[in-house]
Amino acid sequence: MKEQTAPVWAAIDIGSNTVHIVVAHSMPDKLDILADEVDMTRIGESVNATGEISQQKQNETIKVLCKYKKLAEEHHAGQILVVGTEAIRKASNKDDFLAAVERETGLHVQLINGDIEAVLTFYGATYELYQEQNPPSRVGVMDLGGGSTELIIARSKRITWRTSFSIGSGWLHDRYLSANPPSHDELSVAQQFLRTYLKKSNVKRLPRVLVATGGTANSLLYLAQQAFQLPEQEHQLTYDGVMRAEGLMSALSAESIARRYHQPVGRARILLAGTLIIAAVMSKFHLQTIRVSPHGIREGVLLARARFGEGWLKQVQQISQQTDVDTSSHGKELEGTPEEPFAQSGRHELKDRAEKFVQECDKVLHNETEDIEPVHKLRVASRRLRAALDAYQSCCDPKLFKQVYKQVKDAADSAGAVRDTDVMLQGLQKQLEQVPTAEVAGVQWLVDHLMLYREERQQVLDDFLNALDGGTLKHQAEASIKKGAASNGKS
Amino acid sequence: MAKAKPVTGLNCQEATGKNARLIAMLRLEEMYQWTKYVDHPYDVAGLHNLRIAAKRVRYTLEVFEDALPEACKPIVDELAQLQDELGAVHDSDVMIALLRLCLASQDSGTAYEHALSRVEKHPGKGKLMVPPELLAKLLDPATVPSDEARFGLEQLLQQRLQRREDEYKSFHQHWEHLQERDFRRKVLETLNA
Repeated sequence: MKEQTAPVWAAIDIGSNTVHIVVAHSMPDKLDILADEVDMTRIGESVNATGEISQQKQNETIKVLCKYKKLAEEHHAGQILVVGTEAIRKASNKDDFLAAVERETGLHVQLINGDIEAVLTFYGATYELYQEQNPPSRVGVMDLGGGSTELIIARSKRITWRTSFSIGSGWLHDRYLSANPPSHDELSVAQQFLRTYLKKSNVKRLPRVLVATGGTANSLLYLAQQAFQLPEQEHQLTYDGVMRAEGLMSALSAESIARRYHQPVGRARILLAGTLIIAAVMSKFHLQTIRVSPHGIREGVLLARARFGEGWLKQVQQISQQTDVDTSSHGKELEGTPEEPFAQSGRHELKDRAEKFVQECDKVLHNETEDIEPVHKLRVASRRLRAALDAYQSCCDPKLFKQVYKQVKDAADSAGAVRDTDVMLQGLQKQLEQVPTAEVAGVQWLVDHLMLYREERQQVLDDFLNALDGGTLKHQAEASIKKGAASNGKS
Repeated sequence: MAKAKPVTGLNCQEATGKNARLIAMLRLEEMYQWTKYVDHPYDVAGLHNLRIAAKRVRYTLEVFEDALPEACKPIVDELAQLQDELGAVHDSDVMIALLRLCLASQDSGTAYEHALSRVEKHPGKGKLMVPPELLAKLLDPATVPSDEARFGLEQLLQQRLQRREDEYKSFHQHWEHLQERDFRRKVLETLNA
């Protein structure tokens, strides 16, 4: 779908601190953002103080929503999707609040739970990453909020695990960094607390690509861009950069930070605390860089709507229920970490690699051009699947293993015959442009023969792939490691 | 080269990282069994086996990327470079074998060609280095190369022989560099970290 023809929708999320709108041409994997605004309403402050949303906060929120509705209409948004999260969920007068919003604005607020919130945040924070040519298979998302930090782990675009730490930038600031600027002792105690807290957690490793989202992460990136002259299009923070920012802020009052680096004072006040959390996470998990995404739940709503249609919320709810949610205080062993059982990681690995292999088979079969890359990619995918099969052989059912291995090997051999010829042809054709005239006939003779041979081999490969049952192969690969596979079958 | 050996001593219910280390160490040992051919520039089979074994170590480290120390990344890069260098040597060996068959040349008598004449087959299960279907195409009596084409093919062969020398040298220099840095010990230390 082209961006210009994609439907325009608006998504608004009412959070603890802010109300935020995004209007965009919305496609399943891409957004063309037309408007993006945020207002600080801080209904969470009222809920934390009294347990309910005060009349004043209700009025302020309704006022902002009216403004956003007008903005969405100016962009001809076909739908305005509104979600409410933690602060509204906790409010004792949430029903009255939601009814008042609907009455005054005509907007229906979907109150979503933490599981759905995580899925939508993940969609929003990672969609740009997944647009890249070779996105990583495993991705982590850290949603750093005021009261908590959510960690989400995904594999092949599917959330496989998530947990929540009850430390956030506002919380850490209030508890440890009350002076302005904080004293050296306060900083040391806060850093020590974070080290101990993360050490106690059973989370041993995060994926190498970690996307940080939320106001603090984005404010920190903005500060680093200004303070260290990073280019505006830079969306990565290095560990060194985070440490420099931490050093810079620890010597300044919140007001100075706000003035120098164009931050709201409220944000500047908690920014150092958020930076300490980011630094501690990077240090603990040996991350040299993190990516910062300006996107989150709102963009996730629009992507989900484009992916799943009118029933998007129900679909997201189903997906959220498939996620392994860790509710313990210190997390549990993570998939893809050294602690994950071998058989379990093998099932994931074989499933992912078999899927990729079958995808590449389809691409070769549907390749109508002279492009030689699909065969190359198929060969690489077959090698990687075979490597995974070799690695996990000891956990596999021997019969299924043999069946899968043979099919993959045969495909690899067929693809190899084509690919090897392509490589020879590429070299010779390049040489044809350079050799003296007297030598051209020889090179051309060889090229002609190789091209005939290549054509035959391509046909053999196509015949093989047409006969290959990709669905069965994927199923066999995944099933070859039985759940609860016992120890070493090959010792 | 034979299929990768199944690894013994694994426990499927144990942590992935622990098993991954055992597999990687075995694949590394397998690779080092072939390093005796590093100084045998014309042992096509030995160098090919070394390439395949290096590839297996690399793929093992990649499969278990998340369960092994991050310091494995530079090791993967070194192995990929070795694999590329040996791959270039192997591609030249195949092209040289192919050209020799086209020309049915028996006049060179170089050490390389003498060695190559004994290695018509790929190591392992005896798969021919030049596939029989391709040979049939090239040796079709109806399309024998003209004298002019033969001249071009001869030149191509000479150039490829020279290129192969250069490719082997590049690989060998890299290998010596790794030896100086005690690559094997460093890999083991990284895996055991």
